[in-house]
Amino acid sequence: MKERIAIIDGLRTPIAKAGGKLKKIQAESLGAHIVQELVLRVGIPYSEYDEVIMGNVAQPGHSANVARVIALKAGFADSTMAYTVNRNCASGMESITSGAEKIAAGTGDIYLCGGVESMSNIPLLFGDDMRIFFEQLFVSKTIGQKLAVFSHFRPRHLKPVIGLMQGLTDPISGMLMGSTAEILAQDFGISREEQDVFALASHQKAEIAREKGIFSQEIAPIVYDASRGKIMEHDDGIRYGQTMKALGKLRPFFDKKNGTVTAGNSSQISDAAAAVVLMSENKAKEMGLEPLGFLRDFSYAGLDPKRMGLGPLYATSKLFNQTKINLKDIELIELNEAFAVQVMANQRAFASKFYAKKYLDRSSALGEIDESILNVNGGGVALGHPVGMTGTRLVIHTLKELRRQNKQTGLATLCIGGGQGASLLLEVV
Amino acid sequence: MKNTINLSIDENGVAELLFDMPDSPVNLLSSNVLNELEQHLIGMSENKTIKIALFTSAKDGIFIAGADISEIADLDDEKTSYDKVKRGQSILSRISVLPFPTVAIINGACLGGGFELALSCDFRIATENSKTKIGLPEVNLGVLPGFGGTQRLKRLIGFSKSLELILGGKIINGNKAQKLGMVDACVPVGYLDFKQDSFIKSILDDNERSKILSKRYKDNLLEKYLPNIILYFAKKEVMKKTKGQYPAPLAILDLFEQTKDVRLDEAIEMEATSFAKLSITQISKNLIGLFYTSEALKKENGTDKKIKTHPIKLTAVVGGGIMGAGIVWLFSKIGLSVRLVDQNYGAIGNAFKFINSAYQAIVKRRRLTKREVEIKMGHISYSCDYVGLKHADLCVEAIIENREAKKKLYANLEAIVDKKAIIATNTSSISVTSLAGDMKYPERFVGMHFFNPVNRMPLVEIIAGEKTSPEAVATVVELAKRGGKIPIIVGDCAGFLVNRVLLPYINEAIKMFEEGEDIERIDKLILDFGMPMGPFTLADEVGLDVGYKVGCVLEEAYGKRMKVANMFDIIYNQKKLLGKKAGKGFYIHSGKNKSINKDVKDLVTMQHSYNSEEIVDRMMLVMLNEASRCLEEGVIKNADYLDMALILGTGFPPFRGGLMRYAQNRGINNVVVTLHRLADAYGSRFEPCELLIRMAKNNENFFEE
Repeated sequence: MKERIAIIDGLRTPIAKAGGKLKKIQAESLGAHIVQELVLRVGIPYSEYDEVIMGNVAQPGHSANVARVIALKAGFADSTMAYTVNRNCASGMESITSGAEKIAAGTGDIYLCGGVESMSNIPLLFGDDMRIFFEQLFVSKTIGQKLAVFSHFRPRHLKPVIGLMQGLTDPISGMLMGSTAEILAQDFGISREEQDVFALASHQKAEIAREKGIFSQEIAPIVYDASRGKIMEHDDGIRYGQTMKALGKLRPFFDKKNGTVTAGNSSQISDAAAAVVLMSENKAKEMGLEPLGFLRDFSYAGLDPKRMGLGPLYATSKLFNQTKINLKDIELIELNEAFAVQVMANQRAFASKFYAKKYLDRSSALGEIDESILNVNGGGVALGHPVGMTGTRLVIHTLKELRRQNKQTGLATLCIGGGQGASLLLEVV
Repeated sequence: MKNTINLSIDENGVAELLFDMPDSPVNLLSSNVLNELEQHLIGMSENKTIKIALFTSAKDGIFIAGADISEIADLDDEKTSYDKVKRGQSILSRISVLPFPTVAIINGACLGGGFELALSCDFRIATENSKTKIGLPEVNLGVLPGFGGTQRLKRLIGFSKSLELILGGKIINGNKAQKLGMVDACVPVGYLDFKQDSFIKSILDDNERSKILSKRYKDNLLEKYLPNIILYFAKKEVMKKTKGQYPAPLAILDLFEQTKDVRLDEAIEMEATSFAKLSITQISKNLIGLFYTSEALKKENGTDKKIKTHPIKLTAVVGGGIMGAGIVWLFSKIGLSVRLVDQNYGAIGNAFKFINSAYQAIVKRRRLTKREVEIKMGHISYSCDYVGLKHADLCVEAIIENREAKKKLYANLEAIVDKKAIIATNTSSISVTSLAGDMKYPERFVGMHFFNPVNRMPLVEIIAGEKTSPEAVATVVELAKRGGKIPIIVGDCAGFLVNRVLLPYINEAIKMFEEGEDIERIDKLILDFGMPMGPFTLADEVGLDVGYKVGCVLEEAYGKRMKVANMFDIIYNQKKLLGKKAGKGFYIHSGKNKSINKDVKDLVTMQHSYNSEEIVDRMMLVMLNEASRCLEEGVIKNADYLDMALILGTGFPPFRGGLMRYAQNRGINNVVVTLHRLADAYGSRFEPCELLIRMAKNNENFFEE
């Protein structure tokens, strides 16, 4: 990119375990809450925004183009445009990079971008058998015909398709995301125990960060049960005092026989929303705003869907080629924890010349990731991974953490179901 | 004089009687208009070219708004009244005997006499226009529909539905009216032209016409054979609501009973007799007076001149207690974005409990859908600091009654908001001028005193400080009206108007208790007088802490005459009683039940029983004396507004017309003499104020007779 894009400020809701506190709040209301709060806090009048762009994966049936619903519910005028983007787990980054591209192209000046996911509200669906049954029933006219249709009905037709599981299954390889993680465990020979150690660290880091009030700096609390006056101020996925013993008790979910990936060393299924305000660096100067930070450049990359977890490796390699930056310049890394093993596989692939050659056709390794700058406050394993929202959260968190540590350059990267990776180069000052 | 009614007949024989009252935004069925109508009807009945006649209006949003109320207000003897209403009946009856079908095209307000005219037509079409309002609200003016409306409506939609509509004075929209059978069709206003044409064709076609008629009300067995059961329950409901203090609903019930099996011409004769009796009662005059006052208040913008108000879109409320939460609810309900600021999220959660329950009550009444409520509640944002208030057009402060805390808050707000933003205080007792003392832009500061609970109390006292700009006043007046409230401008004195007048009344009740009178007896007598509850029940409802503190502020400001009763001090400071919210006050409250609190009762050992009149006099005249002072000092513009403010703010019984009207009906001289006597017996607080003495001396009155 020629010019940096200023990220004026960002905000998110607390992340709630799916089926928990935020289960009664649909995606559009979650999104509207955070967008409204951000607009008010940033203090740029609604009318000055060019467009609202929101990332969302499981687009709710009752709110097609959920971004537009969010914009109107958040108080934008009818004249403000809005659209939804979906790049699976990177949807919350795609909204930001889409906004950045529009600013760079001169399409508009100020964009409200973000991501939202209510995984609690992904519906159960009727299967094909049931759909065909209904179709035949609707077209049959006489009672005789109807009875004939009914005679073909079997109770098993009622078995629902779980929308959430369907969404987490790669349609090309037919594999659940967790099964792709098992492949990485095999490829890199990463044991169950190593994964659990990683997961434990994620909880411990997150616990400390929460106690220090670090997450509160990016969270806008949300009323989740008005009738009882209940308000949610903190993420609720972090297990205080998590132990290896507790993690060890969990059974592998995806490969029940030989597997290593459990619910404990995978990211959690959650509900949350996040948003940022974007404009060109010049525009920010002109308006006298001090941005939270800048998007310097970004890359997306594609790879084998069965090894989608290595997306960060591919995307970051491309980003480095594009920007002539290398790993030594990076002072902070947020690499989304979809699965503990998937982060670890990336760490190993980053460090190894062999894998650089094998996967990237590079002669040299990207470099060894310093663990002390990686996911310093924990990640998806402890906090949860509301798919459409996570990308935006990583950007906000990286920038705020850079500021806290008085550092300048950070990387926010994640793997994308279906075999892609995203990598964003972020700067403060 | 220009004509109101224009008759035109087109080549197809469609006659149109177009109502367009000259120099008026509305059409009224005045005596003159009725005379004009009669001439047209006589002529039309002879005209063989007419195939069908339409009754239409040229006014925007109005069909015919009703009879001319000033003519009802002027009626003072039963005979004249009877003759007048009889004449109206006979003219409208001419419509129903015309030799061709008649249709009322109702696109706008169609009330009272206007609807009675429509009822005299053979068919009615309404529109979905939001201004189309249909009903017979005469009961609200202490009378009943007198142009045959009670009988024609009963025949059109049945005994129980018509009774309900007329007793409640209900006003409904076009679709609802169609559902009830009051109109034959209800169409979107944009379709009116061609729907009207096809409707005319249907009426002129025997087959199609019978289809329309077949949709109308048919006898229902219960109504036909057991109307007494309906009357019994209706009467019970009326007695519960009015305690029998309003004669019109009772007269309506009687009329429905008498006319059960009577022919139309005889029945409307009875209706006229009943109307004539009601129309000359003092209660009807009182209610009509209040109607005029409320119309006058609607026109007030809070200042003497026409002024452009500050546009309000984003609002903020600081303080999420019961008042703050109520204000947040109100603002969000009218579609504004509201930001609630309180010290911690727990307080914000509690505010949401109130907001949610206020909304659920509306959803239950089906006035809003769940979806609408979700959107409105979604426009409430919240925070524990002042961030996000930058573009607020209006901030309302609703924190504790502490001068310093409030002033500090205004300084914080002024540092953030635009200099044009309005800052309002919901203080119930502290002077607005004094609160604005340190403000950078005091002209933006105004008092906006809501009453508890905000979702049910219609009054808002608006207080301008010395430096408050007319724009700020006009803006909050307009906003309060948008919220469906009735804003009344009051002076910047301690307690403003309502609390200043009400506190001496509660004090007086407690004094009588100290002197040995029975708490429950006092409450009962005041309830019988027509107040919605007795003074002790009221004190418990409001909260003894709130009442006591306001009492102290008033004592500080007005001295001896407002001295807080000793017993109030003991009950609040020593016994630590808080009233209903803590379950204990003068009464023990459990759920909806209450029983006397023996602990309080036993505080007074002596017993002394006053006669009933003395108790009511002490209570009412101590209020009246203070209210007169308010009038004297210019705390309120006039006696009409004062009466309305006390009716809305304290529940003073409307049938009495208001406190000042009560004084006048009783005689100012009588009031002054009684006050002198009470002063001798109970203390100088009863010494009549200058205004009353002067009025008695000069034989003046608060209102023109």
